[in-house]
Amino acid sequence: MAGSLGYGLLRVPLQVQDSLPKIVEAGRSPGVWASFTSEIGTTDFRPLWMAETKLLFDLSRGHVHVAYKAFHIALLMAALGLFVAALRIETGVDLAASLFALSVFVGSNTFVGLVKEATPVNVYLPIVGLVLLAMHLSRGRGGVWSDVAAVLTFVAACLTLESGVLVWVALMAGRLAGRRGVSDRALVSVTIVMVVYLVGRLTLLPLDTQNASGYLTERLEPEQIRERFGAGLSRFTIYTVFASISSVLFSEPRDGTFVILRAWQHGDIPPRMWINIVSATLTTVLIAVTAWRWLREGSADADGDRTAIRGDFLIFGALLAASAVSSFAYAKDVIMSTAGACYAIVAFWAVRDHLIRTRRVGPAMVTAVVLLVASSLWAVRVVGVHHVLRTQAFAFHNDWAGMRNYLPDDPAAHRLVSTLRADALSRPVVNPWFMPRWADRVFDIDY
Amino acid sequence: MARLTTLPAVCAAIPPLAAVAFCGAVFGAALFGYTPTFWQGGALTLAEAAALRDQAEVARLIEAGADPNIEYALRPDVLAVSRATPLEAAVLARRPEIVQLLMHEGAAVDERGWHRLHCIAADIGEDDVIEAIDAYRPSTVAVASCTR
Repeated sequence: MAGSLGYGLLRVPLQVQDSLPKIVEAGRSPGVWASFTSEIGTTDFRPLWMAETKLLFDLSRGHVHVAYKAFHIALLMAALGLFVAALRIETGVDLAASLFALSVFVGSNTFVGLVKEATPVNVYLPIVGLVLLAMHLSRGRGGVWSDVAAVLTFVAACLTLESGVLVWVALMAGRLAGRRGVSDRALVSVTIVMVVYLVGRLTLLPLDTQNASGYLTERLEPEQIRERFGAGLSRFTIYTVFASISSVLFSEPRDGTFVILRAWQHGDIPPRMWINIVSATLTTVLIAVTAWRWLREGSADADGDRTAIRGDFLIFGALLAASAVSSFAYAKDVIMSTAGACYAIVAFWAVRDHLIRTRRVGPAMVTAVVLLVASSLWAVRVVGVHHVLRTQAFAFHNDWAGMRNYLPDDPAAHRLVSTLRADALSRPVVNPWFMPRWADRVFDIDY
Repeated sequence: MARLTTLPAVCAAIPPLAAVAFCGAVFGAALFGYTPTFWQGGALTLAEAAALRDQAEVARLIEAGADPNIEYALRPDVLAVSRATPLEAAVLARRPEIVQLLMHEGAAVDERGWHRLHCIAADIGEDDVIEAIDAYRPSTVAVASCTR
């Protein structure tokens, strides 16, 4: 999967919007440290991300496309590797459940943003990887190196994106579930760093978080949101928090907009919407049944792997809530990508639990049918991620065509953009005319 | 007991395995230097690229030496005509942005050619396309009249 997605990423030209200015900026920056410090005092405050952008630019020696794509692929492989490492695969049943979980992770609407966005480095993928790494450390045997790695993981995550605080959430939830891979002393250190980060972020640096977002069946621009709901806590922020949770559990709404309702209003619901909502709902029901059994019986696992299940469910709940709260200002599926990864991990436990508990013919048949439907739909969604990359390659390719009219005046930047444009135009993409007409109706699209 | 677990386990695993096989086929083809079928398109003529809103291909073909002022063949299903100039294709496909791109990339229209394009656009009734064509009206043309 990593190989085919990596190939897809290589086929997608670099993004023009949001990405090209960053590449030009990296070209102008005198060095990595200058790029790192340039973010201090800005609204975004993502110094590590800027430093990575500059470092990759310098290392590329002119092969900018390859450098940024290679880094994206490396991040993707790390995230997929850490995800698989988070699953306990020992038996055939585990293997079946892990295949199901992998398709949930990759097919999820929260995953698509991890591959389709790159400005020029994807900023959410490192967070998913670092949270999965924190979970891995938390589950481990512990020791000084684990503690040091936990602190460094948190620092790296926070310097990449605000969502980096999710590393703290994962570590604390793991500790509450009884995991001792990271010592209490290290957790206190991480907590102190987090308080310092949050105080600095919220008081010293400008905070302008309002972006366009969905509301019921509409897509609202920042001005419309301020006009209709005002600033601060409002009906809109509460809606956005719950919409974000729902986007993980039911694959709707998408970026805050109930696209299935909008499609229904227009009298045509394409199959992809049913595929998304049915696959997610069936999986959520399986997870809910497992959680209910666990709460009722005190154990959800016939094999006695109670701590592992409790830990992953607790971390998932904590990350789901924290990610949703952090996206209060605007809903975006990719903000929930960390919760999406944990959703797939608890789906693994849920499927495994249902498989292990099968005792009678009737329930076994029902379980088989439910799993067949859900896993078939998730498999379609996995192929859909490739389709999104394919259609996006065409869109980005076209964006470069018009760049000839907007070349920068500065000779170095002019040369750089001209080279990037020539490189992007030379990369073959698939015109949608060559794709089957049903593809856009069955596979997911870029919302 | 074992058999009762096997059927649901197989049901859970087979579709994801099919997805993994798809991914393997894409990656395997790429690894051996082939373009995976999923990522295969086809070569377009300049007029086809104009009709199919392929701005990048339009720019690439012209910059590679394709003449934007001659007629090209069109595959069936692209447009209702079998041959057209890139500008005609863009107008017939209702693509004002492609008209602008073609003009920017060196397409030229004389009085007669402009009149023809204007009338095609007027016949289609797409305001954006009429506007895009009218922006390149030769100074020698005063008023355009299209008779059916």
